[in-house]
Amino acid sequence: MASMKNKNIFLKFLSLSLGIVFYTLSFAPPCFAREISFEATVDRRKVSLGGSFQLSLNFSNAQDMPAPELPAIDGFQSRYLGPSTMMSIVNGKVSGSITHNYLLLPARIGTFKIGPFKFEHNGDKYTSNQLNVEVLQVQAQSNTQPEGDPQPEIDDLNDRVFVTMQVKKDKAYLNETVMLSIKLYVNRLGIRDIQYPEFNHEGFSAATFDKPSQYQEARNGVNFDVIEFNTLIFGLRPGELKLGPVHIKCNLIVRKQARRRPAFSSQGVFDADIFDSFFGGYETYPLDLKSEDVTFTVLALPQDSKPGNFSGALGSFSFEASAAPLEVKLGDPVTLKMIVSGEGNFNTVGVPRLKSGQGFKVYEPQIKQEANTKRFEQIIMPISAEVKEIPVLSFDYFDPVSGQYKTINQGPFPIIIVIPEKEEESKVVENKQLVTAALVKEEKLGRDIIYIKDNPGRIRKKNEYLYNNKIFLGFQVIPLLLYLITALVYAKKQRLKTDLRYARRLLAPRKARAGILQARKYLDKAEARKFCDILFLTMQEYLGDKFHLSSKGITISVIDEHLRKEGVTEEVLAKLRDIFKECDIVRYASSQISRENMRDSLKKLEEVIDYLQRKRE
Amino acid sequence: MKKIEFVLSMLLTAVFVVIICPCCSLAQGAAGNTPGALFYQANIYYQEGKYEEAIKGYQRLIDLGWESGNIYYNLGNSYFKKKELGLAVLSYEKARGFIPNDSDLKSNYDYTLQVLNLEPRLFGGWFEKTIYTLFQGMTLDGLVIFLSFIYIVLIAFFTLSLFFNRLRSFSGLVICVLIPLFVLSAYALGKRINYLSKFAVVVSNEVDAKFEPLENATIYFRLSEGSMVEVVEESGDWYKVRRFDNKLAWVKRDALGN
Repeated sequence: MASMKNKNIFLKFLSLSLGIVFYTLSFAPPCFAREISFEATVDRRKVSLGGSFQLSLNFSNAQDMPAPELPAIDGFQSRYLGPSTMMSIVNGKVSGSITHNYLLLPARIGTFKIGPFKFEHNGDKYTSNQLNVEVLQVQAQSNTQPEGDPQPEIDDLNDRVFVTMQVKKDKAYLNETVMLSIKLYVNRLGIRDIQYPEFNHEGFSAATFDKPSQYQEARNGVNFDVIEFNTLIFGLRPGELKLGPVHIKCNLIVRKQARRRPAFSSQGVFDADIFDSFFGGYETYPLDLKSEDVTFTVLALPQDSKPGNFSGALGSFSFEASAAPLEVKLGDPVTLKMIVSGEGNFNTVGVPRLKSGQGFKVYEPQIKQEANTKRFEQIIMPISAEVKEIPVLSFDYFDPVSGQYKTINQGPFPIIIVIPEKEEESKVVENKQLVTAALVKEEKLGRDIIYIKDNPGRIRKKNEYLYNNKIFLGFQVIPLLLYLITALVYAKKQRLKTDLRYARRLLAPRKARAGILQARKYLDKAEARKFCDILFLTMQEYLGDKFHLSSKGITISVIDEHLRKEGVTEEVLAKLRDIFKECDIVRYASSQISRENMRDSLKKLEEVIDYLQRKRE
Repeated sequence: MKKIEFVLSMLLTAVFVVIICPCCSLAQGAAGNTPGALFYQANIYYQEGKYEEAIKGYQRLIDLGWESGNIYYNLGNSYFKKKELGLAVLSYEKARGFIPNDSDLKSNYDYTLQVLNLEPRLFGGWFEKTIYTLFQGMTLDGLVIFLSFIYIVLIAFFTLSLFFNRLRSFSGLVICVLIPLFVLSAYALGKRINYLSKFAVVVSNEVDAKFEPLENATIYFRLSEGSMVEVVEESGDWYKVRRFDNKLAWVKRDALGN
């Protein structure tokens, strides 16, 4: 019972907790610790009389600001369009903004000042920046534009899409990494197929670009979509060097000229053209955007105070080191663990050095490099019983902020060398053997190449391989040909077995030839009855086989009906009828037939068979 | 019918023998006296420590149009002794095409790379690497004979299965095993032939690989002696090469050996 009660309490607690979390995430307004800023932007600086443009009042770090009521703006009429909000969570920090949008309609030509706007909310006062907008006369051709077209474009394309290049600072030391930022600004244009920037960086080494970031930025009061490419560069030689210009290739999406409307598409950067372009509403034009170049000074490292062990490390680093074990037998390994961390060019960070390696055998370290850390693991081996400590480990680097070389020392580390309780004389010998054994293991002593071969092996002509040997390749065709022939023969045999119609048609001329030979024998012997029997039988069987009919059922009427359908000429049909008549007279009326008539009938049959064979072929 | 089947079986056996035997004999080739004499002369130079002379001897043999795994092996050893390790790697790599399973060659090749502080690297993606590993024990001719053997077995199987119905029950096994094996070995052969004509080794001490085929172009990366590269393009005195990690750059022609 008690456990049931506890369970209910637990469930209530759980559901209450979940409810609070859900409410907090869903309804509670996000807390913005940063100060609220108020900024006014327009979507264009030049507008034609009769056109319109958008004014945006943006409150950053706030999402519950009501829409400010615009005061009367000289030269314009205004209309509230509505708010838009944006919220982002970066590294657990919530930031958001609200933008109230207004449509402004110019009333007359001239250059006008818009703002600064003042707004009060919850006792806090906010003041925006001021903007200049130029209202121009409508261009002449706009009169000929079809109804419903928006205003003609009067902005320069270069003001609406351009590239800038910025380096975080204008000078840096040799090998000092500096962030290079290349931004593509786009204002109310459809741009696609944006390629990675290409830029001249002679005298610099540049890493590949990171994945570009995309955001909005107000520039001189105009809102732009921005695509930012970042990379790290560092100078390879001292001097005043030029960086850039940077080129970005992309395609501009423009409405087709069919309706005499040279306006650029004013959709977002990436959301343009998918369906319109598919239906032929837009055309693309390649753009090669070029930025200004930047002069950058690469400073040489000072030589006068350069430490002896300086290996080129440049940045701001910290250095930690440890050694273990600190009580070892002579010749046993001790591991030094060294960690250099901080910010800078880690490619130039070398292994920290022992002040003195006396009394130790020092091995090459194992190095592991991570984002902002470089780890070294180095084995050292005491080879003298006199050793009392591992000497100081020092790491030298150049700090570009202070412009000075710096050295961080770690240690010394006291170490106890344990000596075995044997006679003093043999200690050194034993320890040397120990060291040697360890060295053999580490250095793989005695390794060298294996001796030359004493015979030339299988010598052959250079570059003569089987794959380019024509005889070999020719042989490869034989099995394939053999297979094809076998398969054809097999297929034919199978068809003869299974396709009776085909088999009868194929064998018909052969059987007819045999019949004709037999008939010719009876003709020579002048045996009219037998001649007619065999002639009739041959004709019946041939026609039956040829047209897949029952041989016994072949009569004049069948022949007429069937062969006419097959397109046999009347002349051939007449010959067949004649043969039938001749044979019937002799076979059933016991009439005599002259040898001439017999020869004629045989000839007719041969002609008919020959005709039908050729006709089928 | 049985007579036909018997004749067919005999015919196929005859074709098999007629094709495979010439392959083996063609692969073996013939060794004349002159190449042998040159080889032994070069060996004597090597034994006497005259590595330069030994290299000339082996190289003359190759220039005369003869080659073998042992010639390239000995040439590699001579270059190693002369401290020209890049050329030693190149010779061992060539020897590997003839005697891929030779343990002496493997040992010397590994040791040379170790001295150069290099690791054996394979080019391409995981598929190419796997195929390379599968067929690395075969010479180029061995691979061709293997491919030809599978091809003939496949043809023989399909031909005989026309007449012997019992064979048809093995069709699934043949299609699942022999045909993929045939395709994989054909792919390996294609890659090997491509590799033969395009691989090169850095023979200079350290070479700058640049973005453009120009003296003053920016250095992209550096190639150390003995590194293997694939030549993808030529322009004047420059080769465009691909490193094991697919990075492309231009390198001076005289810095490479192939």
